[in-house]
Amino acid sequence: MKLTSEQIDQLFSFTRQHYVEWYDLQSELVDHLANAIETQWEENPKLTFDQALNAEFKKFGVFGFMDVVEKRQAVLSKKYNRLVWEHFKDFFGIPKIVLLIAMTLGLFSILKINFYSQWIFIGLYLILIVFSFREMFKNSKRKKQQIKEVQKRWLFEEIINQYGSFSVIALTPLNIFIQLLNHSKDILSNPYYTLGLSFLFVLFAIIVFIIFKIMPAKAEDYLLATYPEYKLDRL
Amino acid sequence: MKNSQLYKGSLNTIIMKLLEENGKMYGYEITQKVKIITHGELNITEGALYPALHKLEAEGILDVEIAKVDNRMRKYYKLTESGQKETVNRLAELEDFIRNMQSLVNPKSNLEF
Repeated sequence: MKLTSEQIDQLFSFTRQHYVEWYDLQSELVDHLANAIETQWEENPKLTFDQALNAEFKKFGVFGFMDVVEKRQAVLSKKYNRLVWEHFKDFFGIPKIVLLIAMTLGLFSILKINFYSQWIFIGLYLILIVFSFREMFKNSKRKKQQIKEVQKRWLFEEIINQYGSFSVIALTPLNIFIQLLNHSKDILSNPYYTLGLSFLFVLFAIIVFIIFKIMPAKAEDYLLATYPEYKLDRL
Repeated sequence: MKNSQLYKGSLNTIIMKLLEENGKMYGYEITQKVKIITHGELNITEGALYPALHKLEAEGILDVEIAKVDNRMRKYYKLTESGQKETVNRLAELEDFIRNMQSLVNPKSNLEF
């Protein structure tokens, strides 16, 4: 006996009820449960759908699907970090390293010459923060829309849109920069420190640019590479 | 998995060996195959199988394929090229392990060599 389409839909809602929010994991678990239920029916055709489903679900243990979900999240977060790292490394190879050096030297010369250098520095930092928040805001709006319209959600898409574990990165260096500014007279009067600070700031800007711009722009490609079913879904 | 830590370290190798023999397989198929081969003695739990499959996929050892079967999507796993090489290594490692354990657990059998 095979499962009907309605029963497959029931299995999808069952996974949703058990905190599997992402289509990629849902569809794999649904196929697993469906196979297992069909096997049970071969042995004992009298079982109801619910009985068979409960028996199968018990096999996942007390935490249900949580283990599968958590491990999948961990694996995909690692993948995300690896992709960000690869983009970052790009800036240390030809030709992008030219840009990195040019930006560092550009910032260095502005900070060195200008009387208001500390305000210029803090201004640039604020621009980055505002930019990050604007992107985060746009994403959260899109996610709400997806949930409202009950669209399929993909775990890796969500990791990209939540910036992996980098979501707080825009704020992390705030303290460091404030500390630096308190000592700005010493730092900005020493050209080596100023050069170092310029380089750190450029690196920080690059990371912000990668996670808020490059990764979301390439999301479609990465999703296609991660999920063969993503393509079927987009047809 | 049978309620034993001993099997846990070998789960990946078991999966890879099965895929080497059978080409592409889906999750449920793997649990059933192991059950049949071991006459029901070894039971891979779902909670361990899928995390292992996803990890091997992320490591580039497995590749995935999707097919529509009946009225649902089925995700097949198969070895990549590097996965095939890795399978040979891991099987050799596992065989070494089995041989060493045998000599340790049952020293008498060493006399036969």
